[in-house]
Amino acid sequence: MSDRAMTEVPLQFGEGGRLFGILTVSDVQSSDLPKPPAFVFLTAGLLHRVGPHRMYVRLARELAQIGINSLRVDLAGIGDSPPCPDLTYQQSVAADYVEISSVLESQLGPAPIVLAGLCSGADNVIRLSISDPRVVGMVLLDPVCCKDDGFRKRAVVFSAKAFARKSMEPARYLPWLKRRIGARALLSNDTEIQIDNLTLRVSPTQEQMRAAFESVRERDGRVLSVFTEYALRYYNHIGQMGRVLGVEGYEQNCTEIFWPHVEHSYQLESHRRRLIDEIISWAAQPMPKLSI
Amino acid sequence: MHEAFFFGPADRQIFAMYHPPVIADKRVLTVICPPLFAEFNRTHSILRKLAVSLAEHGQHVLRIDFSGTGDSFGNLEELTISDWVDDIALAVQEGRDLSGCTAVRILGVRASALLACKSATTMSNVERLVLWDPVHDGTEYLRALAREQVAILEQHHHLGRAQRRDILQNYRMYSLSDGMLEEFHGFDNGVYSSVPKNKLRVVSTSSAGELPVQGASQNVVKFACYWETNTEGLIVSQPVLEGLSQCLTEQ
Repeated sequence: MSDRAMTEVPLQFGEGGRLFGILTVSDVQSSDLPKPPAFVFLTAGLLHRVGPHRMYVRLARELAQIGINSLRVDLAGIGDSPPCPDLTYQQSVAADYVEISSVLESQLGPAPIVLAGLCSGADNVIRLSISDPRVVGMVLLDPVCCKDDGFRKRAVVFSAKAFARKSMEPARYLPWLKRRIGARALLSNDTEIQIDNLTLRVSPTQEQMRAAFESVRERDGRVLSVFTEYALRYYNHIGQMGRVLGVEGYEQNCTEIFWPHVEHSYQLESHRRRLIDEIISWAAQPMPKLSI
Repeated sequence: MHEAFFFGPADRQIFAMYHPPVIADKRVLTVICPPLFAEFNRTHSILRKLAVSLAEHGQHVLRIDFSGTGDSFGNLEELTISDWVDDIALAVQEGRDLSGCTAVRILGVRASALLACKSATTMSNVERLVLWDPVHDGTEYLRALAREQVAILEQHHHLGRAQRRDILQNYRMYSLSDGMLEEFHGFDNGVYSSVPKNKLRVVSTSSAGELPVQGASQNVVKFACYWETNTEGLIVSQPVLEGLSQCLTEQ
């Protein structure tokens, strides 16, 4: 399918066509070589390639407007890609990535890559970025992060402020509390399993985190990390990621954004718009070119 | 195996996934119309499994994303209900061209049950309509979306009054066109009556209220989908899958 700024191509690829994704090829990119990085959106939890509230589709199409190609892909076992039998989750993701980078190269030629993912998608971005020299950028939405020395103190202050705010305006919070209690009672009476499609995750280790950031820095690449209210249990201050990782030159190539009032899956359109604008603006800045 | 492609008008290309029959071709085309908004993501997995299962029963299956949703093109704020009704008719035509089938079955889920019935009245070749938890009517559906909007807003304590007022104009976090709202309000459950009862099958879960489709054959499946309270949990119920498959494959 094609319109003024892009062509979208459904791709079935990998061994026996086992993976499915949609490649968005920008029609406005310049003919200058080498090429700008291509974004790869990794699925979040059990959600398929469109992303929460269709965010990956919108991002892919808006990136195309500024000349950036992208692939939104269903990892094995998600959406339209059947599961990989006999492999652990991480083995399966690694095997998928081999196919993803191969199809990107065959479709777009050699180009650097920016990996993007939310929640478990961010965990996969971190693990995959370490070993692929083509990865020059990471967009991490609610990645894991270790607590730093000041975390506990800030958390107490944060909770106290939230409690004070709730006490000042009980009319605003009581319906929410009532509904929450009601929903829990309802769920506890139900024998069927409900699956939260975003919060299944196998977090990377601190060493893997550090290795990923260092790898991207060595490639003169950049990292954008965005934390929402979901991360409050482990992250509550801009700069915390940089402090706990202690990666040299972090401030020069890494951006941290902290939105404690934004919900994890970006339910509100205003929040989705804000995130998309941040990513587009970040992606529009110069990225290292790949010399192959 | 499946084949993905875009089709339809240039300004709102529709994404479709075609599942050809795996075994002996039964010469039946089933078009799967997903529900709208948050329910789309919740049911993506089960509707894919259903398509695979129907293809294994020898059917040609076409799954679509409505314009402005999923991987399809189109801006939700500029779309009308008529566009979605047209999407179904276009999908049926596309599926018939692909498969060569003349017998057509359509699955409509929640609000797309209304759309499917409306679209079916313009086509002569639809032999069966299966409706999974069909919404009562357009007005009631919008009311439900508005209730969910309020519930979601309750979680966003930090928003100012002006922001809350603006957001309350949305429906389940999506901004819909005036034309779409008007058309939804005009959608009463008479659209179900416009389809001959012998063509209708309803799959109803335990969370569904009074059945809006009087006199239709009904298959009750005990599973709580929590359509109005759970906006993100995937529905992966085997009994629902079997219920839908049975209604779409039985003679």
